[in-house]
Amino acid sequence: MIIKNLTKKYGEVQAVRNLSLDIGEKEFFILLGPSGCGKSTALLCIAGLLRPDSGEIWFDNKLVTNPQRGVYLPPQQREVAMVFQDYALYPHMTVFKNIAFPLEVRGKNKNEVLRRVKATAELLGISQLLSRKPKQLSGGQRQRVALGRAIVREPKIFLMDEPLANLDAKLRVHMRVELKKLHQKLGTTTVYVTHDQVEAMCLGDRVAVLKDGILQQVAAPTELYDAPKNTFVAGFIGSPPMNMLNGKLAKKDGNLTIDLGFAMFELPDWTEEKLKETQASEVALGFRPEDIRLAGRYQENAIEAKVEMFESIGREIHSHLAAGDYSIVAVTTPAENVKVGQSAWVVLSEEKIHVFDGKTGELLA
Amino acid sequence: MITVGSTRILLYVVLVLFVVAYVMPFWADITTSLKTNVDVITTVPVVPPFSPTLEPWVIAFQTMGRPLLNSLTFTIFATIFSCLIGSINGYVLSKIRFRGSNMLFLFFSIGIFIPYQTVLIPLVLTMSRLGLFNTVGALILAHTVYGIPMCTLLFRNFYKDIPESLTMAAKTDGAGTLRIYQSILLPLSALPFVVSGVFQFTSIWNDYLFGLILAQGIDAQPASVALANLKGTTTASWNVLMAGAIWYALPLVIVYLVLGKYLMKGYMAGAVKG
Repeated sequence: MIIKNLTKKYGEVQAVRNLSLDIGEKEFFILLGPSGCGKSTALLCIAGLLRPDSGEIWFDNKLVTNPQRGVYLPPQQREVAMVFQDYALYPHMTVFKNIAFPLEVRGKNKNEVLRRVKATAELLGISQLLSRKPKQLSGGQRQRVALGRAIVREPKIFLMDEPLANLDAKLRVHMRVELKKLHQKLGTTTVYVTHDQVEAMCLGDRVAVLKDGILQQVAAPTELYDAPKNTFVAGFIGSPPMNMLNGKLAKKDGNLTIDLGFAMFELPDWTEEKLKETQASEVALGFRPEDIRLAGRYQENAIEAKVEMFESIGREIHSHLAAGDYSIVAVTTPAENVKVGQSAWVVLSEEKIHVFDGKTGELLA
Repeated sequence: MITVGSTRILLYVVLVLFVVAYVMPFWADITTSLKTNVDVITTVPVVPPFSPTLEPWVIAFQTMGRPLLNSLTFTIFATIFSCLIGSINGYVLSKIRFRGSNMLFLFFSIGIFIPYQTVLIPLVLTMSRLGLFNTVGALILAHTVYGIPMCTLLFRNFYKDIPESLTMAAKTDGAGTLRIYQSILLPLSALPFVVSGVFQFTSIWNDYLFGLILAQGIDAQPASVALANLKGTTTASWNVLMAGAIWYALPLVIVYLVLGKYLMKGYMAGAVKG
């Protein structure tokens, strides 16, 4: 599926701006972003439920949307199935009827409907629920029925709009795994919208990060994590998020450094090559909470910070520190002599730091 | 405690007074309808009859039988038609986006406020041209058309509250506009059908003006007109008149008894949402 320069406006507000994506066959593709970033709008345009203002959408070699040329294939004729956040089950129909609906609409004969609904129900483990009404089901069961209604048609593309958002935390994790397994089994191209970065990282073959209707970065989850293109992606992906300290580029003893105000950080050699060209003087230094070592006494080129508290969440310890006006979070085992209320030295893994343009937020090194 | 108790008592006294005032005419209606001509003259309306008789009921039915049937016919058909059309309109206006849909809805709403009197002459002319004048058909058509705005408003507001994801899901499932209405919205519409149905039934049944103007012959005469005609020009047999009134009220009472529960539910739903 290819999307070219998709734009959708609601009055003056541009919900999606010039979005271009190339989604591969059998790919589990994620649209990720905070609420109101235009990810659902993009999905509705793909489904054909919303007419974009401009741009093109291609399924394989078939043009399905192009407002300029007046091409607009209605959703009924696109081979897509959609799962909605509120499941959108038909309340007056039994589970069987709900799943059978897309087949019945297409005039499939009774035997085939019966066979396919049963097979789908078995696949999802809801065979015993077929005679119930949606009202009598739990959230997780409804979720499965909604999936069943999408699967039963064997569509070319699955579209999912935050399908796990209404489930409680535990069930969400469970269904996430189920979804991934299901995708591996069926291999259907899936476009999945979510605001939950964990979901995106777990499920996606590739993730597209959107903000205010503008595409920020498309990459595999690990790349998104290790090499975010700008401060927004860096801050959005990962929990706790990347630490970000603003400062000015400066020269000190012939070495490139960042003047953080309360401390100087000498940049490693590999960054100098990349920063040579830049005009920016204001920069942001980014580093992941786990790319830190906490020392109890002075270390060279370390940032001194005050330890505010430790937060033990079982597997790992989150250390909260204050440096200047910033707070730094470290996910690491602190050295033994690091104590609350005292100074600690934050040692960064030099090869894992990021330098962003302080004004535009773009990655510099 | 004493003051609270006395206000309670006062409250009940006032309430009972209201109830009596409200029920009194109906009571008098029943007692009078069971009286002989002599009893009517010799007793006060609220006093029970000395020698009860069903004769006034029989006499009243002799004149009102046919008109009651007429009324039932056009009321039932016009109610069904206006609800059905209102439901389809409501679906289109709430779930299908098109240019000018809000304007169209506004025009529909204005239709609710058009007084009967203003359209009488064009109405009679139209019905004559259509060859429907003095027929039950004229009343069915007139009441259907007149009921559409109200029904449209009711259904549109009900359908507005049905989540859009439901129609979106049906669309991606492959259902067309008509199929979505048939398979999804219509089965979910029991409540608005009851509410608008009872509303339409009541207002059509109670109508006098259209009946008087459009159906002057006995063949199409509505019960409301026949009831008024029971009161003769020179004499009034109160017992027959009262019996006629009960005959006339009976279908409405039955409708409310059967559907009252759903009606309350419908009003409550409206109240909570509103």
